[in-house]
Amino acid sequence: MENLNPRIRTVWILVAVLIAAFLGTIFRAAPTDEYAEVPVGVIIFVVLLLLFGTYQLLRYRNWGFEVQDDAVYIEHGVLVHVKKVVPFVRIQHIDSRRGPVERASGLASLVIYTAGSRGADVRIPGLTPERADELREKLRELAIENEESIEDAV
Amino acid sequence: MENEPNEATEPHESETSESSEPSARDETAETPETEEVPQTEDEVSEPSEPPEPSDGADDTSSPTNPTTPSKLHPLSVAYRTLQQILSIGFLVFLFFFGGAATEGLSALVGIALTVFVALVAILGWQVAYYRRFEYELTGDTFDIRSGVISRRNREIPLRRVQNVDVTENVLHRLIGIAQVNIETAGGNVSEASLRYVGADVAREIQRDVRRRKRALSDEETPDIEEDVEEGERGRKLYEISGRELLLLSTFSIDFRLVAFAFFILSFVPPERFEAIEGVSVSVSALPVVVLGLIVAFILWIIGFGTSFSRYYGFVLTRIDDTLGYERGLFNRYSGSIPINKIQTFTLYENVLKRRFSYSTLGVETAGYSPTQSRQHGSETAVPFAKKERVMNLAVEIDDVEIPEFTLPPKRSRRRYAFRYSLVLGVLAVLLYVADTVVSPPDWYLPLLALPLAPVAAHLKWRNRGYYLGDDYVATRNGFWNRTSVILPYYRVQNVIESSTILQRRWRLATVTIDTAGSSGLRSDDARAVDVGFEDAEVIREEVRDKLQESLAERRAERREKRRKADETWLDTVARESPDARSEEDKHEDLPEDDTEGERKDT
Repeated sequence: MENLNPRIRTVWILVAVLIAAFLGTIFRAAPTDEYAEVPVGVIIFVVLLLLFGTYQLLRYRNWGFEVQDDAVYIEHGVLVHVKKVVPFVRIQHIDSRRGPVERASGLASLVIYTAGSRGADVRIPGLTPERADELREKLRELAIENEESIEDAV
Repeated sequence: MENEPNEATEPHESETSESSEPSARDETAETPETEEVPQTEDEVSEPSEPPEPSDGADDTSSPTNPTTPSKLHPLSVAYRTLQQILSIGFLVFLFFFGGAATEGLSALVGIALTVFVALVAILGWQVAYYRRFEYELTGDTFDIRSGVISRRNREIPLRRVQNVDVTENVLHRLIGIAQVNIETAGGNVSEASLRYVGADVAREIQRDVRRRKRALSDEETPDIEEDVEEGERGRKLYEISGRELLLLSTFSIDFRLVAFAFFILSFVPPERFEAIEGVSVSVSALPVVVLGLIVAFILWIIGFGTSFSRYYGFVLTRIDDTLGYERGLFNRYSGSIPINKIQTFTLYENVLKRRFSYSTLGVETAGYSPTQSRQHGSETAVPFAKKERVMNLAVEIDDVEIPEFTLPPKRSRRRYAFRYSLVLGVLAVLLYVADTVVSPPDWYLPLLALPLAPVAAHLKWRNRGYYLGDDYVATRNGFWNRTSVILPYYRVQNVIESSTILQRRWRLATVTIDTAGSSGLRSDDARAVDVGFEDAEVIREEVRDKLQESLAERRAERREKRRKADETWLDTVARESPDARSEEDKHEDLPEDDTEGERKDT
């Protein structure tokens, strides 16, 4: 099972910090007990940070994927554990993408499209751009290898 | 491109590259051609070779000699004019009579004049539309030339046509016209729409397209056709009887709605009913029941009417590899479902149907549905019949395996009982809390339903299930409206196993078997819900392995078929020309084109 690039963990934790800080600031004005030593906003910030931070750490830890012999296998999820199997035969096309955040952090993600309705697009985040491109090429080749059965795409 | 990314690879592109004029796709033809041009360039970059009209085409399709272009039905002018007047007439009416009606006679004359001019303009436009609209069925395409201001010529290759459906509403039937839609796979708009031709002409087009399509496919696989005479009109698989129609309409009630109505009503304080009906407080529970029954009755009437008019005169036929159906009391629909495009089979059995062992069979095709909402490609194949017969029909259509369901583990039943009790408990607590504020019904009322929780849990559990067969996988869910989805392994797109934090406490998981057909809007996906962890893994791996197996099998079959076709072809060539070798490459392309086509048919 291949893990995501650790840098995505940093990105996710940063996101958690930002959200916690944002909500903390909103509650900054909340009335504070005179004798309390810490303002409510700070408490909220800390609690949320712990909560979101743990979530993001678990999220990172639970993310994994593997290019197996006939399919891409993906596992992820914190509250809901998800295991996906995307057979190569079913791959319609593959994108490697870099959004603004991803570009800033030097990362990329891979999106695999199938004709399915639910798991129609499967996204693997937190890849280095090289790895994303490499995976894209590899999956493309694997999909083409199954060319003979391409008429079975649906 | 505005479309979804995966639509880019779909059949439009091939269709476009083959049609003589790319912009022809726009129904209204208002868009300037330049807008569409870049799109076409994009598409051209992908090597989607249009299938060469094969050399054989000329001699094989000689009996179907090209006809002269045909026109729409003359009455279509009248109908379309009327339609247009009605659609814009209302606006005009508001505009004039709302603002200027008070201005007296002169204004009235002005209005009359404007209306007259508008009428003439509309009529003129429709006449022009009629005069410039031409269609023609050639040996391998369906051509349409149309457009008043911007002309467009469209050629639809017959092999891409998935369905020709005919729709007639009440008015159409009165004046004997019908709308013909020609559909190719993948798109959610009709590739071409003939509004309107004579009802008989519509049927003829339907038949002709079918016949020519078959002629085209025979060319490639000459060994497939056996009974041509039967093929013309098809073999009747099912026809709804009066009794079945009545029962179907009777049973068509959505119990979820009724249950919901009861649920809502039970929260209305009894005093309200007193005000309405004047019943005494001592029977405060009665009005709820009465009102609930009234609501249920109304819902039932609606369900009855809808089903009756929809499935009146339902006939299902089979013509080669296509299912044809016809139905409707006021609005008549007829269309077809190509069997090799069917993704899943679905059995709908609500409580009543189950009680009398009746069932409804629906089929789901990939992304396309002729007459119903285009969101989900679900079409009713057998509206109502004894379960046994329905299953036999399913077997006849596609060798469907009759599933024997495995129930989820008993602990999932315990889970439901637990969940229901919890809900009731929470409800009681809420009522208790609210009691101090207002005076709602007694807080312990929900707790009276507690003994029902295990029963409900059992029923929910009992009606779930999954089945892993040799070629088919099936799942079943729902008590009120039980839905069983049966699909061949080779239709599986991907498999998703998920388990929520609550499910994990019971070591349960849900496996969703995704196909291209299901839209997710209706909960018709194949889902094995609340199965044990181990079973979930077995299902996931089994489906995955069987998918590969069945694909390999199909591949082998196709190769065999192709080989045979090649042999036959080579025989012919050897007989006709001594120089068969050079032609061989050309022939090699043919099955490949077919391959391309099917892929794009997604």
